[in-house]
Amino acid sequence: MARISIEGLSVSFGGARVIDGLQLEIPRGAFFTLLGPSGCGKTTLLRAIAGFIEPDAGSLRFDDQDMTRVPAHRRGIGMVFQDYALFPDKTVFDNVAYGLRARKLEPAVIKAKVGTYLERVGMSGFDARFPAALSGGQRQRVALARALVIEPQVLLMDEPLSNLDAKLRVQIRESISDLQREVGITTVFVTHDQEEALALSDRIALMNEGRIEQIGAPESIYTAPATAFVADFIGAANLIEADVLGPGPLPRQAVLRLDGRELVVFADGPVTAGKALLAARPEDLRLAAPDAATPNALPGTIERRRYLGFKVSYRVRLPGGRVLAVDLHGQAKEPYAEGQSVSVVFDPRASILVTR
Amino acid sequence: MIPRQMRSVWFVLACAVLALLVVFLVWPLFNLLSASVATVKGTNQSGWATFLAEAKYRDALFNTLLLGAIVTAASTVIGVSLAYLTARFDFPFKALIAMLPLTTLIVPEVIAAQTWLMMLGNNGLITTLLGSAGIPLPSFYGWPGLVIVMTFIYYTYVYIGTLAAIRGFDVQLEEAAQSLGTSPATSRLKVMVPVVMPAILATSLLVFTLVVGNFAVATILGHKVQLLSVLTYLSFVSEVGADPVMQSTLASASIGIVAVVLFLQRWIVARKRYEIVQGRGARATTLKGLPAIALAAAALVVVVVSVLPLVTVVAGAFTHTRGPVMYWGQFSLASIERVFVNAPDPIINTLLYASTATMIGIVLSVIASYVVVKKRNVLTPAIDYLIMLPMAISGTVLGIGLVMTFNTGWLAMTSTAAIIVVAYVVRRLPFGVRNASSTLYNIPNSIEEASISLGVPPLASFFKVILPLMAPAIGAAAVLTWTTTVSELSASVVVYSAGRETTPIQIFRLIDTGLNGRASAYGLALVVMILVPIFIAVKFFKLELFTAK
Repeated sequence: MARISIEGLSVSFGGARVIDGLQLEIPRGAFFTLLGPSGCGKTTLLRAIAGFIEPDAGSLRFDDQDMTRVPAHRRGIGMVFQDYALFPDKTVFDNVAYGLRARKLEPAVIKAKVGTYLERVGMSGFDARFPAALSGGQRQRVALARALVIEPQVLLMDEPLSNLDAKLRVQIRESISDLQREVGITTVFVTHDQEEALALSDRIALMNEGRIEQIGAPESIYTAPATAFVADFIGAANLIEADVLGPGPLPRQAVLRLDGRELVVFADGPVTAGKALLAARPEDLRLAAPDAATPNALPGTIERRRYLGFKVSYRVRLPGGRVLAVDLHGQAKEPYAEGQSVSVVFDPRASILVTR
Repeated sequence: MIPRQMRSVWFVLACAVLALLVVFLVWPLFNLLSASVATVKGTNQSGWATFLAEAKYRDALFNTLLLGAIVTAASTVIGVSLAYLTARFDFPFKALIAMLPLTTLIVPEVIAAQTWLMMLGNNGLITTLLGSAGIPLPSFYGWPGLVIVMTFIYYTYVYIGTLAAIRGFDVQLEEAAQSLGTSPATSRLKVMVPVVMPAILATSLLVFTLVVGNFAVATILGHKVQLLSVLTYLSFVSEVGADPVMQSTLASASIGIVAVVLFLQRWIVARKRYEIVQGRGARATTLKGLPAIALAAAALVVVVVSVLPLVTVVAGAFTHTRGPVMYWGQFSLASIERVFVNAPDPIINTLLYASTATMIGIVLSVIASYVVVKKRNVLTPAIDYLIMLPMAISGTVLGIGLVMTFNTGWLAMTSTAAIIVVAYVVRRLPFGVRNASSTLYNIPNSIEEASISLGVPPLASFFKVILPLMAPAIGAAAVLTWTTTVSELSASVVVYSAGRETTPIQIFRLIDTGLNGRASAYGLALVVMILVPIFIAVKFFKLELFTAK
């Protein structure tokens, strides 16, 4: 179990910078997720931590050991791959024993350890099977046992759930989470699936174009996105261009003007007058009867109503031409009809000024 | 700092492979090409001027192109129809056709030419039988023999290539065409033909290059028909070294023809490759009645004709002979005894040289394909290109280049066994590499990285994880390399020296002197050397020799 410190890390492929001067500190024992769209550099960063990619500049440390120039096989990592990467010509037992044999442990010790970890991942009794005779979920469990049995300093997982079907994904996700807590190993998990990231992580680093946009606990990333990119990538967000008039009545608030109305919103930084982006999640907006007196609201017209079972999604057009998405959960007493005039109410705690 | 890719052991190996390719392939080719512009002895003009001035050479060029065109057309007609019929219809004896690709592998060209002569040559069995019945046959030498024998050797290439394309074709496209209102026949013509056409063209052009480079059949059956490959060989052997410029010029001319054709092939393949996204193969229609009988009969004829050389060579080996005369029907062990007891040297030589070459070739193939597929660096594009180059050069041309280059100097190898092994390795390298790389593409990089992440160093990971996965492909490549090396003639006949005859060379020489009985006995030995490894590989190691094509 180790702390991972990355300083000024840069990686380029054929002249193109994929990661640019990245700083990152991953605490000991944390479940840390690198989240981002494809091509954001998250897998590259993971492979640089693993030692499969050599950085152009910067340093990487596990605790106080400098790992920057240490070859991958001497880093003491456990890695789980997207395609499982089980050795197809070896049995489940031999796959899991592979790393232990490389460490020249006694056969009896190997046997005991393999047994323990196969049990931990719920794959006891499959010792003699070949990977081809396992389902996708079973393969990923074996791959997990194989990575953990060598008791690595850090566990690196590269989109380990993306080849599984939806139901299995949740199941294996839970096993991974339980096992990680039980073993307490520092884990770096790469995914493009925000739900996975939110469900599993102690901390999430949201990456975009080789940089980290925001690091934080799942709640803070979700509720207080720092940038328009984060707001848009995690969950859905209405991003609205607005004129900031100045600070609001309370600390960390701002007043802005939109379609001739004044709105009080949340602002997690110094407020300066001028153009800004407002992020508001569809589920944080409310609908009310059209009434000019409703505070913190904009008038609009329902353009489309979609019934989705657990929620109703509305598309509301504002007089200025903007379109907002509004989600109402539970049994909405008065289902608004298409063509109806409404007020869209903004929650001052959940409507956030973000940087571009 | 030296970049990481140059510090790895794979970079060192890539350097070694590239160095070998440069010394044994690029250098000889360079010598060959540069000699062709020198002045021909006894004249004051260059090789190329002589080539264009003398009718003999112009005829050879014309005949070579004409033969190429005829054989290509004939092979394409037979190969494509067979492929279409076997892919779309079920009829009696169809399973036999599936074995056809084997015949080209196990019947060396020299044996094919020899056995056809034993049947239809001047003293051939059929010729004499029909002659005594009052039906004189035209001479088999020259155009008839060249076209018939080459066609029956090369049509299998078209068959294999076309069959794969037709099987990969999605019949739903045909059904879509029918749903849009075209008749079944028109649909097939308008939809399937364009999709399958690139594969047919590609294999046809391959056949063309093989005809241009063909040595065994051309030399044995060409007779008065001047051909480039024969003239090249003759200008080399007539008085060795007497006419080095002419041999280079002729060799360069055939390189030129093949280069143009291969360029054309690449161009067609690159421009006209359609991707069948998902396919449902056609279900073969079971034929009954007259069509079934007709098809079965036609297929049987092709199969029998293809397998006939095998039967003939075995029969010939056990037939009583006196000089060139075969006493068909009279059993004798004399030829067998002469060959296996009195003069087994060619067989021993073949085993020795071919096994050495196969081992070297396989090790090189594994290294080269691994470097090219998995460990790309600045050198790998050059390796990738050079390693396929021998496909474009005929054996005769390669042999002459090797002799010119290693006759003297720091690496004089002429009249050693080493030069034969080098010729073998270089000629067959493309096959080994192709086989090895095709499996490598199917082994994900993550397998090797998984091993490294578990604490095993990169090179050890290769041996522990990658090599076992490649084993079946390496086995198949070894068997294919062995079978094609054992029967190699065109390069070895150029570079060998007295006492180092291989079995195909000995057969070639015996046919020249008309001693078909002994030639058949050596032929039998050759077929056994080819068949035993194939049999063992398929039977005991369950190798799939014909899927990796």
